[in-house]
Amino acid sequence: MKPLHHLSAVALRDAFLQGEVSAVQIVEAFLERIEHHNGKLGAFLTILGPRAWMKAEALDKKRSHNQPLGKMAAIPVAIKDNMHIAGEITTCGSQFLSNYKAPFYATAVHRMEQEDAILIGKTNMDEFAMGSSNENSAFFPAHNPWNLNCVPGGSSGGSAAAVAARLALIATGSDTGGSIRQPAGFCGVVGYKPTYGRVSRYGLVAFGSSLDQIGPLGTTVADTALAMEVMGHHCPHDATSLDLPPETYPLSKKLQEGTVIGIPWQFLKGLNPEVRENFQQALEVMKSLGAHLVEVNLDILKYSIAVYYILATAEASTNLARFDGIRYGIRSKAGKTLEEIYDQSRKEGFGREVKKRIMLGTYVLSAGYQDAYYKKAQKVRTLILHAFDQAFGQCDAVMMPIATSGAFEHGSIQDPLEMYLQDIFTVPANLAGLPAISIPSGYDRRGMPLGVQIIGPQLCDVAVMQYAHAYEQASSHTRIPGNYAS
Amino acid sequence: MANFDSQTLEHLKKLCRIDCTEEENREILNSLGRILEYVVQLNEVPTEDTASCRYVLRGMLKNQMREDEVKDLLPRDQFLSNAPDQIGGMIRVPPVLKPSS
Amino acid sequence: MHRDLPYDLWEPVIGLEIHVQLNTRSKIFSSAPNRFGDEPNLNISAVCTGQPGALPVLNKEAVRKAVQFGLAVGAEVAKFSTFDRKSYFYPDSPRNFQITQFENPLLRGGQVIANGKTFKINRAHIEDDAGMLKHFSTFAGVDYNRAGAPLLEIVSEPCIHSPKDAAAYATAIRAIMLYLDASDGNMEEGSLRMDANISVRPKGEMGLRPRIEIKNMNSFTFMEMAIESEIQRQISLYLDHPHRAPLDLIPPGTYRWDPEKRQTVLMRRKESSDDYRYFPEPDLTPLILTDAYIDQLRSTLPELPHDRFRRYISDLGLTEYSASTLVNEKPLSDYFEEALKVCKSPRLLCNWITVEFAGRLKESGKTLIELGILPAHVAKLIQLIEQNQITGRIAKSVADDMLATPGLDPEKIVAKNPDYQPLDDTASIEPLVDQVLAAHPQSVADFKAGRDKALAFLVGAVMKLTRGKASPQIVNDLLRKKMGNGGKEKG
Repeated sequence: MKPLHHLSAVALRDAFLQGEVSAVQIVEAFLERIEHHNGKLGAFLTILGPRAWMKAEALDKKRSHNQPLGKMAAIPVAIKDNMHIAGEITTCGSQFLSNYKAPFYATAVHRMEQEDAILIGKTNMDEFAMGSSNENSAFFPAHNPWNLNCVPGGSSGGSAAAVAARLALIATGSDTGGSIRQPAGFCGVVGYKPTYGRVSRYGLVAFGSSLDQIGPLGTTVADTALAMEVMGHHCPHDATSLDLPPETYPLSKKLQEGTVIGIPWQFLKGLNPEVRENFQQALEVMKSLGAHLVEVNLDILKYSIAVYYILATAEASTNLARFDGIRYGIRSKAGKTLEEIYDQSRKEGFGREVKKRIMLGTYVLSAGYQDAYYKKAQKVRTLILHAFDQAFGQCDAVMMPIATSGAFEHGSIQDPLEMYLQDIFTVPANLAGLPAISIPSGYDRRGMPLGVQIIGPQLCDVAVMQYAHAYEQASSHTRIPGNYAS
Repeated sequence: MANFDSQTLEHLKKLCRIDCTEEENREILNSLGRILEYVVQLNEVPTEDTASCRYVLRGMLKNQMREDEVKDLLPRDQFLSNAPDQIGGMIRVPPVLKPSS
Repeated sequence: MHRDLPYDLWEPVIGLEIHVQLNTRSKIFSSAPNRFGDEPNLNISAVCTGQPGALPVLNKEAVRKAVQFGLAVGAEVAKFSTFDRKSYFYPDSPRNFQITQFENPLLRGGQVIANGKTFKINRAHIEDDAGMLKHFSTFAGVDYNRAGAPLLEIVSEPCIHSPKDAAAYATAIRAIMLYLDASDGNMEEGSLRMDANISVRPKGEMGLRPRIEIKNMNSFTFMEMAIESEIQRQISLYLDHPHRAPLDLIPPGTYRWDPEKRQTVLMRRKESSDDYRYFPEPDLTPLILTDAYIDQLRSTLPELPHDRFRRYISDLGLTEYSASTLVNEKPLSDYFEEALKVCKSPRLLCNWITVEFAGRLKESGKTLIELGILPAHVAKLIQLIEQNQITGRIAKSVADDMLATPGLDPEKIVAKNPDYQPLDDTASIEPLVDQVLAAHPQSVADFKAGRDKALAFLVGAVMKLTRGKASPQIVNDLLRKKMGNGGKEKG
């Protein structure tokens, strides 16, 4: 049998179910890998050793008693550290919550555990999900398994690195402006952001409430589809949760006859030649599967970053107001009066990027500026929604690159605007609530992964998975980075 | 758009209750200035007849309410176990002079 | 503060914001219990303590009670209303933002009748309450039991022009909430809190002058005093400084009423940091109500206080004062209606409940209901009087006994006590009648001359001799027989 970490999650689960490997063996293997690699990679903030062992023993027992086992049985899953596992620490990559014990489960996480996934650790992230490189973690940065000098992307950098290095086979991430898809692209794994509301946000520490979605990262589309089948249920604790029956994701190598892919060429003007070439290759693959390519007009997306950074920070400024040193989290010793407790706790607890975004968000909502910034951005958001509506009138899915380049080196982007512009291709799907996936599409000159993105209309999660699967089967760019293969 | 200066920054810090070091003040001033300059481009987009995108999914235009049932309580000891300072079952804070707004 | 102010030259303009706690089982966005008085932090959930990752979900029962209120006051019920975040930092706020309805409230308009006047409501909406800060000398303690309780905030037009009217308006609102069973209206527990916005202007002046706000009053009496005190303060300022601009004299500010000092105390001036930065709550979907839903609630509205008030006056013949005393205390009014099933004399019943018994209970502070005196028993007492089984005077003693031994049937009380047995034996009364007639010849003469009052006096004299036990009817008849029917024809 292949080494366990070479298997897809589905294959590993099946091996377990068929008795070829025990859950305890699985946990042993993956915990060993984590111990060996995490120091350099910085993918995990917390390793849930005891918990994983207990779950593994319970699973082996269930299997030996022929009891029914869940859809994700024995799959080692990493959870981004902004989602709660009851009783475990949730840090959100922040000093503020370095000692915060989650009082309840995130619904999506709980569902996976109930389907017998083994929760193996909490992954590193940009603080409070604010960042595109995992350089904003208050603890330590995460590194790209393809080149440790490069960032894994963000904010779900730890999750992407963990999956790419095969320290877990599935990870959860959260995506507000691309935080699942961009790191997936940088690390050469699959990353999926569902239609807004498809996965419950209950237990996900909120960043941009109207933009956030929890989604899976995995080594194959089928693995992420499995995770979506398990996570994508209506949740009565989340009023924005879609009140629709859960989807199943039948995957075929073939594209449905007459599939039309839209490409917003105008919007993609100025792509660097490497990325453009890689993107064009991806389009050729779709053509070879029978897809028709059409040009669609999504020029308005050039305003996406402006809209996003106004709306997301506005929501975040209020979502993060609860971190005040009063009920939980750190409380500054330097605070004698109430005001000082607020001011100092937040000064000490929040990193610089978080402070910036909270202030920006406060500014765009403040008296005298709300019309010009927040309300204006909300209107442009409507136009972006309309533009996608129009585009989907002409095609079944839109394809774009994931990013303007492969993973960049740590510290190489200092200008905040340049960092924000990293999200230019991913942010639109959040603004319009659309399902979108990032799939490995090849490698750049440096050998760093590149990713391509498929975006579908609202609620068309199954279709997007299907297109991605067909592409993946026809292109096979997924591999394990050299240092992590053994 | 008005000038985003250190006075504005001080006002913002009061509104969102965050203190900063001098260096942070400088950097934040600089960064926010850049970003606000950047987002000015939204003025190019005509939106007189456009509605605000209050709900991104049409499917959200329905009630999502719950029954009037007591459930999912947070046990007090669990609540207080995360508290920085507590006394007599309450969260302890410095004496407060101003009653709430 | 006491000076002779020319009140008739000035008009107070008062607007009230009343926050009523709805009596749902669970909170508005959290499923924790909605209860008062428990030990701190027992009635909490992840949502109402602002835990990261928690999300609000609207309680449908809170909506139902709020809509019923809207229908009761004739407000327009919005078929589409939304929620907003209102940001401010304070320890009693679990998220440092309140979820309220700023832009699209649930209810608009409506009116309330009180003190014979009609007061207009501007709007009403639902929102979540803050927790409680308990103040000690060297620290404060925060209790989140109340955090997230459902509030209905009712905002009046600035159409109230006297402290008495303000109290009457607030009383009427409270009564409506009680009748709808939408709130327990318990003032001491803070189920109903009032903020008053107060300004004054010379009578006849059209615009509104600067106003201040007195916040968080939970007593009608204190509110009346506070408003009165503030009116005096403002008029005095204008009179003492006739050339200064109103905004100078009355800068916007928030005050509270100090019941010991008996004056309003400035809490804070309005500051720029009061920017609440309202914006749409992204975690909640809109509240969409159908005509069918609204109609169904309209059809299940119970009798409302004002309708009951009118019924008491027109159908039962009660005075306005008696009617409003009963109506404004729903439990008392319900008690009255229960007794009315047995006894058919509403005016007498009302008098016994609101005057006779109420007077006897004043000192103890308890109510008939609390003591466990059955409405049917009060009704019976009155029946006994009407059927001449006891005199009015005996009845008072029986009432005392009923209070001393709650739950005892008055019929039994009367049966057990020989002193209460009426004296209806003509033979034993007659000599006493003769005695009285002999002792008061002037009264006899007066009666014969046509003064009916003299008869009443003579009856009273006989009643005294019989220690109240003689049947008044028999005494009356005997006196007339012996004196002749007097100077007038009696019907």
